[in-house]
Amino acid sequence: MWYPEWPLRRPGASPDEPGQAIGTDGRVEAVNAAAIAAGIRRGMRRGEAEGICPLVVTIERDYSAEMIAFEPVVTAIEDLIPNVEVVEPGLVFVPVSGAVGYYGGESSLAERVAKEIDRTAGGGFLIGIAEGPFAARQAAARANGKPPILTIEDDEAFLASLDISTVGREELVATFRWLGITTLGELARLPGSAVSSRFGTAGLEAHRLASGRDRAVSPRDLPVDLTVSERFSPPLEDLEQAAFVARAMAGRLVEALASLGTAPFRIVVEAEAADGTIRSRTWLSSDPLDDRAIADRVRWQLRAWIDGVGAGIRGGLVALRIEPANLSGAGRQLSLGEDARAASETHRAFAETQAIVGRDGLLQAHPQGGREPGERVIWHRWGEEPVVRRDPNAPWPGRIPGPSPTLVPPAPQPFHIEWDGGMPSRVRLGSRWVTVRSWAGPWRKVGRWWKGEEPGDQYQIVTSAGAFLCEVRGGEAWLTGIYD
Amino acid sequence: MFDRMFVRQVADTDGRTGEMASEQGVAGRRLPIDDLMSRVSSLEPRSSIEKTELVEPSSQIPALLPGQVGVLAGDPGLGMTRLGLVMLSDYAGAGAVAYLDVRGWLSPLAAWEVGIEPDRLVIARCGEVVRWGKAVAALLDGATAVLAEVPAGAKDASIRKLAALARNRGTTLLLRPLKHAVPAGIAHLTLEARETAWSGAVDGHGRIERRRTRLTASGKAMQGMTRTIEMEDDGSNTLRVVPGVAAAETRSVAG
Repeated sequence: MWYPEWPLRRPGASPDEPGQAIGTDGRVEAVNAAAIAAGIRRGMRRGEAEGICPLVVTIERDYSAEMIAFEPVVTAIEDLIPNVEVVEPGLVFVPVSGAVGYYGGESSLAERVAKEIDRTAGGGFLIGIAEGPFAARQAAARANGKPPILTIEDDEAFLASLDISTVGREELVATFRWLGITTLGELARLPGSAVSSRFGTAGLEAHRLASGRDRAVSPRDLPVDLTVSERFSPPLEDLEQAAFVARAMAGRLVEALASLGTAPFRIVVEAEAADGTIRSRTWLSSDPLDDRAIADRVRWQLRAWIDGVGAGIRGGLVALRIEPANLSGAGRQLSLGEDARAASETHRAFAETQAIVGRDGLLQAHPQGGREPGERVIWHRWGEEPVVRRDPNAPWPGRIPGPSPTLVPPAPQPFHIEWDGGMPSRVRLGSRWVTVRSWAGPWRKVGRWWKGEEPGDQYQIVTSAGAFLCEVRGGEAWLTGIYD
Repeated sequence: MFDRMFVRQVADTDGRTGEMASEQGVAGRRLPIDDLMSRVSSLEPRSSIEKTELVEPSSQIPALLPGQVGVLAGDPGLGMTRLGLVMLSDYAGAGAVAYLDVRGWLSPLAAWEVGIEPDRLVIARCGEVVRWGKAVAALLDGATAVLAEVPAGAKDASIRKLAALARNRGTTLLLRPLKHAVPAGIAHLTLEARETAWSGAVDGHGRIERRRTRLTASGKAMQGMTRTIEMEDDGSNTLRVVPGVAAAETRSVAG
């Protein structure tokens, strides 16, 4: 069951305005009908989407808030069918094999679920029924009836006609296309061993999805119970305290699993309240969950229980358990020199830094074509992909030669130069004048006259205090770089 | 550290190298500083560069180990930001490195030129003193090395805490103070730029090509001595700078 627009369900949000929800990687994760009509698609980069539709209302995903709102939906489904697996707010998988007999068939069961969901949270949901989760989700995405339910009889046949981009993983899809593989059926017909040897774990995973064989087919059995649990006395009443403990528990769990060479695709979060009520929820992921992902999911779930509609956790939290399930060694083979723990810590530290300095404060840069130092850099937020607009390998005649200035102001700064017979003689640095030792230039810069840019002359000016790159336009000098 | 930098040892007039002369100066006849300085390469281009020989850079500037703190002092324009990036590049092979940019002026082009891969460099912009310490602390948790500009107004206690955190985390921390000095006792190595000179540009012709910077190195890494080092930064290869360091020991500190 999938609510594609769930992240956009916020108080005051207008369905008539184009809206999009952005994930932590800066890509569009949800769009409403107005945004789709404007040309925005799921998976686009934020900048690209805003370029297509400048009026689009952009919100960043808040999983905790979304889960609070989604909790009644999960509860409503659980009242009909047990063992609901939450992938994210808005998307759940429900094993229906046991309930089908009770409700008299898949169709009647799906209709009953649809009716219950509609009563709880309104329309906008899609339901797909298939053998595996991947096929079920693809079926839901194509459900357009009333109620929107699509039942798939043969997963493999259904998936065979789907476009290769359905497997996600942009680079892999591009390579498949380059090789002439355009549908999941064509990929599924390739021998698994050949795909594995050419594309590694990612390719094998795509091949399994295309073949209708999801990762849940053969969960590994482990000889020991790896459930981690904590009891609290006095009971915890603060969510942040519980989340802090959950983070440590997630770390312990992942460490224990790593020693066995495995990772969970599914976790069961169980919370015991002081009044004896025990609540549990299953979370599912298409990728192995690491400690950060587990801690996040536990926090979202606890917040949904505490702040959401319902009984809450009365009297505080006295016990918390995290049980791993659907363990698999797939995807856990590290490459030579790869340190998964260090990478995870680095990611967490940079995410924390981003929280301190703001989303626009933590940046990375990539080269692009251009003539001036500032033009040759494309900045992007950490965690997002750069959009390189100009080829850095093109010749770019007239480019400022290296070495490059180490410091480049975001905008040219006023720079005072004293001229003597057309030659620079002194420059002002702060409150003092410094004699020019030598200089290079002027290099004529025509500028983009069609954009109203004035022509100018560029100079490299050398003083005893360092070298500077500057530009003289309309009789005024501007500092454009410092060779620090 | 400085595996991409070459140290030029200037031949003395009587054929001894600067290093040898200085050793004798310290242990033997103890040359006056001015006399010894005159033997060190001058900052102006000169023909004696032909007499130089390459020596191991580690004999001049020791590497900073994980958890050690370095300070890069000197006015903007004297080349310490580029030197800091060169030092940072030595840690980029092991993981991501971070630059905390207080001014928001750092050009990543310079970082790429000294060999830091674009994917390995993360730049945090934070001009507020209040959040500066927290941002550096967070970066120390994740990066293999951090080069942090120190804003005016940063408290000494805050800088000391960060140095302690760097030692605890095993992350190399390079501090680049913009205004005031870093408190004493925290730096394993302090490099302070004294003067710089560029060659290549003459009266409008040519372009700036090569920089020589004279700096002093001190701290525990220098065994309590202060050395004057002349460093040559040749940026002719825009992808990989191969600077040279002309070094001579100028004095020792009795403590």
